[in-house]
Amino acid sequence: MIPRARSAYPVLALLALAVGAPLVGLFGLGTDIGGRSADWAVWQSAYIRNAFWFSLYQAGLSTLLAVLPAIPIARAFAYHPDFPLRDPLLRLFGVPLVVPSIVAVLGVVSVYGSDGWLPLGRSLYGLNGILIAHVFFNLPLAVRLLLPLWEAIPSPHWQLGEQLGFDGWQRFRHLEWPALREGLPGVMLLVFMLCLTSFAVVLTLGGGPRSTTLEVAIYQSLRFDFAPLRAVVLALLQLGLCLLVAVITLRLQRLPEVEPGLAVHATSAMPRSSRLWLLAVALAAIYVALPLVSLALDAVRGPVAAVLASAAVWRSALYSLAIGLSAAALATLVGYALLRTSSDLARRGSEGRARTIETAASIIYVVPPLVLGTGLFVLLSPHVDVFNWVFPIVIGINTLMGLPFVIRTLGPALRQHRARHDLLCASLDLAGWRRWRRVDWPLLRHAFGLSAALVATLALGDLGVIALFGTPQTTTLPLLLYQQLGAYRVGEAAVTAALLLILCLALFWLLERGLGGRRDA
Amino acid sequence: MLEIDALEFAYGEESMCFELDVAAGEVLSLIGPSGAGKSTLLHLIAGFLEPRAGTIRVAGDSIDGLPPARRPVTIVFQQHNLFPHLDLHTNVALGIDPSLALDATQSAAVAAAFARVGLDGLERRKPGEVSGGQRQRAALARVLVRERKVLLLDEAFAALGPAQREELLELVAGLVRERAMAALLVSHQPRDALLVSARCAYLDRGRIARVAPTRELLDDRDDPALRAYLGSQ
Repeated sequence: MIPRARSAYPVLALLALAVGAPLVGLFGLGTDIGGRSADWAVWQSAYIRNAFWFSLYQAGLSTLLAVLPAIPIARAFAYHPDFPLRDPLLRLFGVPLVVPSIVAVLGVVSVYGSDGWLPLGRSLYGLNGILIAHVFFNLPLAVRLLLPLWEAIPSPHWQLGEQLGFDGWQRFRHLEWPALREGLPGVMLLVFMLCLTSFAVVLTLGGGPRSTTLEVAIYQSLRFDFAPLRAVVLALLQLGLCLLVAVITLRLQRLPEVEPGLAVHATSAMPRSSRLWLLAVALAAIYVALPLVSLALDAVRGPVAAVLASAAVWRSALYSLAIGLSAAALATLVGYALLRTSSDLARRGSEGRARTIETAASIIYVVPPLVLGTGLFVLLSPHVDVFNWVFPIVIGINTLMGLPFVIRTLGPALRQHRARHDLLCASLDLAGWRRWRRVDWPLLRHAFGLSAALVATLALGDLGVIALFGTPQTTTLPLLLYQQLGAYRVGEAAVTAALLLILCLALFWLLERGLGGRRDA
Repeated sequence: MLEIDALEFAYGEESMCFELDVAAGEVLSLIGPSGAGKSTLLHLIAGFLEPRAGTIRVAGDSIDGLPPARRPVTIVFQQHNLFPHLDLHTNVALGIDPSLALDATQSAAVAAAFARVGLDGLERRKPGEVSGGQRQRAALARVLVRERKVLLLDEAFAALGPAQREELLELVAGLVRERAMAALLVSHQPRDALLVSARCAYLDRGRIARVAPTRELLDDRDDPALRAYLGSQ
């Protein structure tokens, strides 16, 4: 009755090749560079040491600044389910998930730059700017990840707390803290990992060697200094750090769900607290909205006509769309194949193997895109001109980056769907294409749409691997925006950023609603 | 002991009205279809819901408007009665003092409650480390240390097997008699009512349709709604 679980193995082999070959390239370089034995003493250089410690420092500080304020804000949302602005604000807190990093950077510069509303002057560049941008992305994310923890507190517990006469502190200690303690480490590790592997933010707002992370140092070593061995050492350090964080996260076995359309339900049994808490929500909302509003105003005042008339802009937009859609299609297909196999295995009782397959799909958490890019660069450059292979490489790596999102959004839906309908379909002799058309697609299309939308948006706005391999002929919109910023063409950059943001939001909406249909369909 | 007088509650478009008396030492069973208002009535008595009108009196005193913690009422739910991160002892001790600053007499009361419900030796176990029946026994131990006059059981033993359910119901009946409490038991099992309740109330569409001796009510062949609810039992 339960199908045999084979379909994912070729896909898994392909995944292993895609990740393994670049890593082999990296390690291989250690033994030989142009016929000479590599000098590994390079890892002791002050530059690498600084990059290593600064990576940890900025990621740790960003995590604390993003997650700690998120706790009272999430609590305020949980305690005020009927607050009229709750839904719009939660939607606003979902926006940073689909805003490309480089666009957010421009928004941050627009608010806190020399000509901004809250000018920080030169001190914006360096740790301050990195922290501001990381908090912009991760504070709303942390709020949305923490909020369901309050929902998970059983209603009878709130009632017991009331009946036993708990005061505010006792309520926090006995009801809320146990729930938070379960989820908080996972949220903090996720945010730490995101900040550790953050590239575009540090590249644009980092201020010289003192504010360089491993990720940016890899890029600089390959792109500017032509120091492949140094890039390899940096990549291996980054790999080790990510592996460590991933192992700790897996040991906790509580990875938070990431979904921009996350619905948050009110729990009627929750007590109401002072509306003063909502002040914290208002401040956070202003913090998130300010860069976007400022950027929009800059764009309106910028050379809109000139930018929209530029062939380079539209060519870049087209490339970006092609990358986004291709990565979305590939990641969704690969993810679906892996998930089908893992759910087959789970139903046959092989829970461990099922989990291994899903973990393998999240390999990109451990091997950051720039590490993969470096490996590919090292592996391919002796044989081919890697700059002629930009699009396949960028699409491939973006597919890998998107896979964890597919696993997290499509996975639960597929498992639930199969548990409910497999036996019924079997009894009705619904199989193959007939089953797909009549049952699977109508019931799973929302999850497919959401997965594709997330991956497409992520790939469309990605400024990572493309910065490593991009050429004037293969410039994407995020790379063009980075070049405009580098050339101080701030007005043009604001318009380009607005265009990129509109494309991201439109593509997300089209795929989520167009492909996914109405949720109740 | 417990008097409920013209207690009204509106839930959306539905309105409910309850009239009921429960004597000291009595376990009155509430039966009726889902949505009839059984749990709503319990939550009104516990103070989790605000009535639109009417009065609840315990031992002659009105408890209207009192917050849940100040009511002479204690409730046991079907599940989630215990905090999973605290051991059984702490869960029970919370019933005396939420700040857990217990003096010697109070600690002795906790120990006695454990002995009374048959949980001796399991005080330091966490709820996840004991059976469902033992978890409900711990909830009953907390009922004992709270020393309230009214006990509400909201399908408290529905998730247990028949033998365990019977044991716990007998334990409840004993405790209610010993402490002269008034207890309301919501259950979908007529057998539960027969076991511990001399009287039984049948609720239908937000009203207490009948209160009668349990055997008489369960054997009634004339009321079509009651027959439809009870089926062929």
